Amino acid sequence: MKNNLKLPFYLAAQSIKRGRKWTMVLTIILMAVAFVNLIFVSALFNGIVEGGNQQTIDMMSGDVYVTPKSGSMFIDNKDALINNIKSIDGVSAVTSGYQVPVRIERNSISGGWITLAINPAEYSKVIGIQNKMFTGEYLNENDDNQIILGRQIAGGDGVELDAASLKGAQVGDKVAVTLNGVQKSFTVKGIFYTKFLESDDQAYITQTALKSFISDVSFDNASVIKIKTVASKRNLVLEAVKSVDSSLNVHLWTEAAGITKSASKSFVSINIILTIVGTVVAAATIFIVIYVDIINRRRQIGILRAIGIRPAIITASYVILAIFYVIMGIALGSLLFYFALSPFFKAHPIELPLVDVVLNLSQADYILRIEIVSIAAAVSGLIPAIVVTRTKMIDAIIGR
Amino acid sequence: MTHALRDISLNVDYGEFLMITGRNGSGKSTLMHIMALLDSPTSGRVYINGEDATQLSDNEKMSLRLKSLGYIFQEYALIQEHTALQNVMLPALMLNSFSDAKRMATSFLKKVDLGHKLNRLPSELSGGEQQRVAIARSLINNPKIIFADEPTANLDSVASKEVLEIFKKLNTEDGITIIIVTHEPEELVYATKVINLMDGKIDEK
Repeated sequence: MKNNLKLPFYLAAQSIKRGRKWTMVLTIILMAVAFVNLIFVSALFNGIVEGGNQQTIDMMSGDVYVTPKSGSMFIDNKDALINNIKSIDGVSAVTSGYQVPVRIERNSISGGWITLAINPAEYSKVIGIQNKMFTGEYLNENDDNQIILGRQIAGGDGVELDAASLKGAQVGDKVAVTLNGVQKSFTVKGIFYTKFLESDDQAYITQTALKSFISDVSFDNASVIKIKTVASKRNLVLEAVKSVDSSLNVHLWTEAAGITKSASKSFVSINIILTIVGTVVAAATIFIVIYVDIINRRRQIGILRAIGIRPAIITASYVILAIFYVIMGIALGSLLFYFALSPFFKAHPIELPLVDVVLNLSQADYILRIEIVSIAAAVSGLIPAIVVTRTKMIDAIIGR
Repeated sequence: MTHALRDISLNVDYGEFLMITGRNGSGKSTLMHIMALLDSPTSGRVYINGEDATQLSDNEKMSLRLKSLGYIFQEYALIQEHTALQNVMLPALMLNSFSDAKRMATSFLKKVDLGHKLNRLPSELSGGEQQRVAIARSLINNPKIIFADEPTANLDSVASKEVLEIFKKLNTEDGITIIIVTHEPEELVYATKVINLMDGKIDEK
């Protein structure tokens, strides 16, 4: 047979060229919707997980962080260590801090919280608290009597941990801070809200402010060093820092993720379940759309058989037609996703209690979903075409 | 169980122009479908060129239909998405290259006086023209036998006459065996042999 390979493409091309345009457009739109549904759910949950992870990195730990070696209170010679770390390939910025437990009191309400004494300018290159000021302002280097509070410490309406907070501290309020048996009055300069509970349950003061509590504090020591890296080089930086001093405790951001880590695990599980459900729905939608299309062409298939066109050629032409529909559907769905939905949610993130979510679709997830809908379409074209080419020819033509 | 056809024994020689008549429901179309290998009998045999065609596999039947038999349906059965030329080309594409199939289809459409409407869609042609496209399609692989199921049923008298003249010419000039189911008594004059079916049997009267 001369045109066994060309003929299916020829038949499919004629159907596309001269078939009912509105039916074709609606079919492609349905394919696009099924595809967008599949990638949107994945992108949304990836967005939640990635948003949570990024929040840990940007608001809490940095990409890599260093804590004192076991049995020690501080990281010694931190300036030398920081210089070494800065020379590692992939490191963008490094900062250090003193992490101290303090008692903060306002209007007879008090509580104990972790406070970080920092160099504000240096710290802001690694941790982005300055971008998350709910009210007031971030610290300056010479703010010796000012403090910024996480929203969970300040408390007030809508705050998750309000019961254990200062019950509505405001910018400009005076708070009494007690550390190492010394009490000092600080003014609340700002309240930050990162939506990351562990971060919002901390306060920040400057390193010089810390000196007023502990006069013999040595700024050649630190209780934590936080490192910002190029995302793809986190693990390399981790290993490189470990090799600088093998006794140091060097951690990847994942170890600081806390509640976000378990929330992420839950979201990954939900994503898998919803992807399976979405795949079944997409496959069923594609199958029904193509099945109805082919059943409507039952008479045409009967005529083709009657004039001697082999069933395999007819079947192949409908598989090609189904693949054409799905390619167009994927193209339309991708345009919709990348040029409408994704920019929209980037401009208007979905505000969840833990994180503001933007859509995040990995290339691997995108390709996997293209494969899923393509296979579903090919099977959807194949099965009804085989069924119709096996029915009695004369019944197909007459419409019995 | 109702049988559409019973105890039918019919021999058609090459070069004959057979017309099958009978009332609605007499089994004319069923007989035609079985002879043209579009349907299978529950029992009995169909011999074509001395070979038992009922014993052939589906692929062998398809090959026999493609190369030796032409079939024309009452309602033309053209593919609506294809032009006249493309409809006629289709069976030829199974055996020839695209360029050869196109050349042959053009030639056969000219033969049925449609050389000027090659690129018209079926919806742009009259009933008579559509039936002539169907005839050209049935001829393209040079069949030995052409089956036509009430080919003039949807045509006016002028178009009917044109179609029947084409069949007569194919029979007398090209020696093609023509088997036609018809309702119209005035068409029987074209036939060299006529059988009348009644309740699924050949009416010997």
